[in-house]
Amino acid sequence: MKRLYVLYDGECTLCARCRRWLEGQPKFVEMQFIPLQRAGLFERFPGLEKLNLRKELTLVTDEGAIYRGASAWIMCLYALRDFREWSQRLASPALRPLARSVCEAVSANRIRLGRWMLRRRPDEVRQMTETGFLCQSDECRI
Amino acid sequence: MTPIVWTYISYLGISIALTIWVAATLHRNGRIFLVDAFGGNEQLADSVNHLLVVGFYLVNVGYVSLAMRTAYAPENLQGVLEVLSVKVGVVLLILGAMHFLNIAIFSKMRKQALLHRIPPPVPPQGHLAGV
Repeated sequence: MKRLYVLYDGECTLCARCRRWLEGQPKFVEMQFIPLQRAGLFERFPGLEKLNLRKELTLVTDEGAIYRGASAWIMCLYALRDFREWSQRLASPALRPLARSVCEAVSANRIRLGRWMLRRRPDEVRQMTETGFLCQSDECRI
Repeated sequence: MTPIVWTYISYLGISIALTIWVAATLHRNGRIFLVDAFGGNEQLADSVNHLLVVGFYLVNVGYVSLAMRTAYAPENLQGVLEVLSVKVGVVLLILGAMHFLNIAIFSKMRKQALLHRIPPPVPPQGHLAGV
């Protein structure tokens, strides 16, 4: 495994912020971030159109393996140099259910959470929009 | 020779002998950790091992030499032993701390190497069509 493609929701400020954090971390595996609103996504990753990408985080490896939800988050940590140990811990039978319910809760409420976390930071939202991390809610062209 | 000179000579002798013993132990037993950490590259492991031991010697012999002088001049064997016990005790504690630091470095290197090689912790939920 050489590269991970992370398909995140480009309409969600929380997701854009997570992308920025992940991009700043030292890595074992290269990561490429693609907003799921991007045109031509399904031509590049055939078969993904059958999945509800908006429901949870989706991750595709360069070998074509698909990870979703909590597993996708665990794989993001697995790619990071400083958090690979955590990925193992979270994947253990003891913590896996907790990881799953937290990921489900966060995914389901991501728009609201993002709005709440960034409500005093309109400049940060604008900057993320300008750099192509985030699209405006009325027109999405990233 | 006065008692203070005897104190200094015994202090240097004991401290340096202890340093050599600890360094030799580290050199001998640390090698296997490093070979594992560098994925079986024995040449690199030997080189790093040697460099670590040189650093270990420099720090310890440096401290031993700096701390030799004492303000209290012993007049008899009892005084000599008292001064020696304090000085050698401090050297031993520093050697111990350095030793544990070295072990921590060895195991951190090894852990990084092992982390690099572990497979993904979760199985994929599917595969792309046509890949």
